[in-house]
Amino acid sequence: MSHPRVEAVAGEARAAIEGAASSAELEAIRVRYLGRSGGLTQILKSLGALSPEERPQVGAAANEAKRELEALLDARLLATRAAERRRQRESERPDLTLPGRRPARGVLHPLTRVQDEIVRIFAGLGFSVAEGPEIETDAYNFEALNIPRDHPARDMQDTFYLSSETLLRTHTSPVQIRAMRAQKPPVRIICPGTVYRRDVADITHSPMFHQVEGLAVDRGITMADLKGTLTLFAQEMYGPRSKIRFRPSFFPFTEPSAEVDVLCFLCGGTGCRACTQSGWLEILGSGMVHPQVLKNVGYDPEQVTGWAFGMGIERIAMLKYGVDDIRLFFENDLRFLRQFA
Amino acid sequence: MRIPYGWVREFVDLKLSPQDAADRLVNAGIEVASVTPLAPVGLRGAVIGEIEAIERDLGESRGHHLVLCRVRAGKGERFSVVCGAPNTRAGVRAAFAPPGATLPGLGVIAAKKIHGVESQGILCSERELGLGDEHEAGLLLLDRDAPVGGDLAKHLGLDDHVLEIEITPNRPDCLSVLGIARELAALTGARLRPPRTRLREGTIRARDLARVRIEAPELCSRYTLRVIDGVRVAPSPAWMQSRLRAAGLRPISNVVDVTNYVLWELGHPLHAFDAATVADATIVVRRARDGERFTTLDGQARTLDSGMCVIADPQRAIGLAGVMGGRNSEVTESTTRVLLESAYFDPVATRRTSRSLGLKTDAAYRFERGADIEGLVDAGARTAALIAELGGGTVARGMIDAYPRKRRPVRVRLRMSRVQRVLGLAPPPATARRILTGLGLPVRARGRDLEVDVPSFRRDIAIEDDLVEEIIRVWGYHRIPTTFSRGDVAPARDSDTGRQERLVREILVGAGLAECVTWAFSDPAKASALGAASPLKLLNPLSQDAAALREHPLEGLLGVLATNLSRQQPGVRVFEICRTYEAAPGGDTDTAEPRWAVLALAGTRAEAGWHTPVAKVDVFDAKGMAELVIAGFGLTPATRPGGSLTGFEPDSHATLRAGDTVVGEFGEVSAAARAAYGVEVPVFAAALRLDGALPAAPRTPRHESLPRFPAVQRDMAFALGERPVTADAIADTIRGEAGPLLRGLAVFDVFPLPDGRRSIAFRLTFQADDRTLTDDEVNAIHARVARRVCDALGLTLRGAESPST
Repeated sequence: MSHPRVEAVAGEARAAIEGAASSAELEAIRVRYLGRSGGLTQILKSLGALSPEERPQVGAAANEAKRELEALLDARLLATRAAERRRQRESERPDLTLPGRRPARGVLHPLTRVQDEIVRIFAGLGFSVAEGPEIETDAYNFEALNIPRDHPARDMQDTFYLSSETLLRTHTSPVQIRAMRAQKPPVRIICPGTVYRRDVADITHSPMFHQVEGLAVDRGITMADLKGTLTLFAQEMYGPRSKIRFRPSFFPFTEPSAEVDVLCFLCGGTGCRACTQSGWLEILGSGMVHPQVLKNVGYDPEQVTGWAFGMGIERIAMLKYGVDDIRLFFENDLRFLRQFA
Repeated sequence: MRIPYGWVREFVDLKLSPQDAADRLVNAGIEVASVTPLAPVGLRGAVIGEIEAIERDLGESRGHHLVLCRVRAGKGERFSVVCGAPNTRAGVRAAFAPPGATLPGLGVIAAKKIHGVESQGILCSERELGLGDEHEAGLLLLDRDAPVGGDLAKHLGLDDHVLEIEITPNRPDCLSVLGIARELAALTGARLRPPRTRLREGTIRARDLARVRIEAPELCSRYTLRVIDGVRVAPSPAWMQSRLRAAGLRPISNVVDVTNYVLWELGHPLHAFDAATVADATIVVRRARDGERFTTLDGQARTLDSGMCVIADPQRAIGLAGVMGGRNSEVTESTTRVLLESAYFDPVATRRTSRSLGLKTDAAYRFERGADIEGLVDAGARTAALIAELGGGTVARGMIDAYPRKRRPVRVRLRMSRVQRVLGLAPPPATARRILTGLGLPVRARGRDLEVDVPSFRRDIAIEDDLVEEIIRVWGYHRIPTTFSRGDVAPARDSDTGRQERLVREILVGAGLAECVTWAFSDPAKASALGAASPLKLLNPLSQDAAALREHPLEGLLGVLATNLSRQQPGVRVFEICRTYEAAPGGDTDTAEPRWAVLALAGTRAEAGWHTPVAKVDVFDAKGMAELVIAGFGLTPATRPGGSLTGFEPDSHATLRAGDTVVGEFGEVSAAARAAYGVEVPVFAAALRLDGALPAAPRTPRHESLPRFPAVQRDMAFALGERPVTADAIADTIRGEAGPLLRGLAVFDVFPLPDGRRSIAFRLTFQADDRTLTDDEVNAIHARVARRVCDALGLTLRGAESPST
């Protein structure tokens, strides 16, 4: 099928394609041979001048050569362009060890994290969240909780006063009183909040801190239930092998009262610095709601019993995160806060 | 309270080590802070030595006259000891550390040359033994019958441990050696042996020597008086002094020491008056007069009021009842007749008096917790007997007993079923009975129940549940089983405020801010620079810079900015959910505590890096954060210049409103305010109201169908003229004119023109739900909108940009 005239041009073009070094050169070759005034195009345009015998031979040969050269060019271009792109990217290769472009990450305060965790655990046990004012009356903060005026029990909670009748609440217990006055038993609530005690700030004291208190009042509630609920809490908070123990104590609003220790989760009970070698960490106070407190809110202590507990969120957070100075929580140094991201 | 363990063991047979006893007490609710040996650390091997003879005078050295003594210390042991103490005399017995003994601070003692003479050991002062500060007075001299060669620590009663006990306010009965002994007896089953008093009374009757009149029975329900005559005041004997020292008390004289001794032993405060100072030998218990001046034993002149109770004679006050005695009637070396008070003072009045005078004493501590109104008789008798024994006097016959308000017997019935109901378990009744009896509570069986006659020393036991606690406390809290309450489980609810605050936190943390928690206390001096003019003040603040409560929502965060910027943080982007506190009529307290979400930004916008040029935050960062939160609650706020919060720069302060509701404010914090907090760089802040402004709970999103036809965008830019026209006003006009096909409107460029005017460019997005919009349709709206804006607001259209779709 080949034809010497066609072959002369085609051969030249093949050689040019073969020898081309860049995609630009290949495009130029396409123009030179297959373009409007290219060699092969010229042959096809000049077919009219040929003899009727020669015309179909040359025509067929030229068309075939054109297809062949097109294919050859396309293939070479693909390969050359790929190589060129590779070279280009190589020359611009980024240093991937440079630091990434990170969006700023915000961070919750560690006290928020701990409070949320405690509240979530008790929500799972059927406790609803209750809140109340930080400025309270003496009646709600003390009297209703069986802490009369001029009683030494008040020394346990040194108080900021705004007037003789109003004060900054020293615990979130007044929320319990408000909740019980507002509803009939059964009551199952958890009360997180800010509380105040007139203690000079040092590594373990802050005049403002946070508490979570819990309260359950119903028929047939016992101190054994309190132990059960707090055991569940400890296992959720500190792991399934966690244990608690009760020690007798005194709070005016509970009878009997108990301090609750949790098996030291840092040393597993063998004794370490955090637990002062005792193997136990004191984490909360609790007890059976004093019958007088139930009477104060209009409940009948012969019909219902209840338990209550209260824990300091800072204390839990300090143990959990190994923070050794409570003031760090209120200083809000970003280098401190970002450790809890 | 320091309780020497050896003293406890006088009253109860215990085989427990001091530490084991402490553990038992802790498990029964008596906190023991520490158990420490009484002997000073480092004192070992010191003995009782006798100076047999002064053998040689060695002359003066550094102000001391040195002598060489021959010291006998045990069988046939003799030592040559150099000593410079002023009370060195032949024949005395003194503390002696032979070679090989150790002294605190001095280590092991060896024979060494002093002034060219070998000294075999040291005759010791109190200070050298680590027992006290006394040194100049010389050697610690011992009784003439002290066993020579005997162990010094043992002789001084130092071979003992002290329990540092912390008693909860409900257990004043445990504020004594006997009280602790009683607890330990109950816990171990050992027998309690209270001290026995052998009181030998004289023939003269007390009531012939003195009189008592209670004029304020509401403050003093009982006052007893004993009279001891012929007393010789002198130092108390060594055994008593060492007991008192072990308890942390300072020996004074035999009479005073005995009252302190019995206070520690039985827990009842006593007071001795010099009878010679009491006019008509008549004690009057009365209210103080308002403004009455009185000098207490410590030499302080005090001004009293009529809420206080005084002990007086017919002419003047001689004691502050239950708190402290008077200067004018104290026992001195010349006292020969003692009037001994053992009384009961009202807890509330005692506490008020003690607190209002700032006078905290061991006596007040006990009276305010409630003294033992029956036991005070024994305490008086024991004290009188000991004074007579140590001071050589005679106790007059009988006591004067004014007891106007007799204690009513307290009888509490305990149902064993109640024990079960409260605890979830109950011991056998016999066990319960044994426990209560062991605690000194007389018990009777009443059918299946128990009945207890509560003794006067257990003021804390008033109701059935108090006995429940006593039983389980002794029986053991570890016996309480672990169960879960039955009963209906209601679905747990989060509070609305809790959910609202959680969403705010989620949004702002997502936007890269750090959450802060700051004290609600306010420094009025700083806060006034923020414009806080009427903060709620604390009556008893800890300090002036925390004298009030937060009035302005930004107070806390400005402090946080100052802290972090001073610690070289280049950018501080923080938020806080907090309350402000204000007077507001209504409620229980006439105050209100509105909640806020506040954010503050200063310094760089992002961490600078190789790819991120340093950029500073500006007011639009604060606005954007605020908008982000508001949008999270489904609201689209409008901006209005100015606002009601103080503390912003007037030209950079605006309010975000949703409809008629002010949701928040933002702006640049005024230079004066940030200067007050020590912040030197510009601060941009926003404060959002969480109460009554942002919805109480996050909205539930509603799905809208996604558009099915393409959107068309058109840009238009205006040159702003002389008249102040805001972006919001232009946008409102555009929206008003464009009609429902306008689906999006954004400002995409603001820049100054060469002629000094400003250009503002908007991008309008058009879209229809039911068709593809044609160019003609959009062009027509676009032209109408542009004309309308120019006409209405007096702006110049800078020529629509080429349409882009």
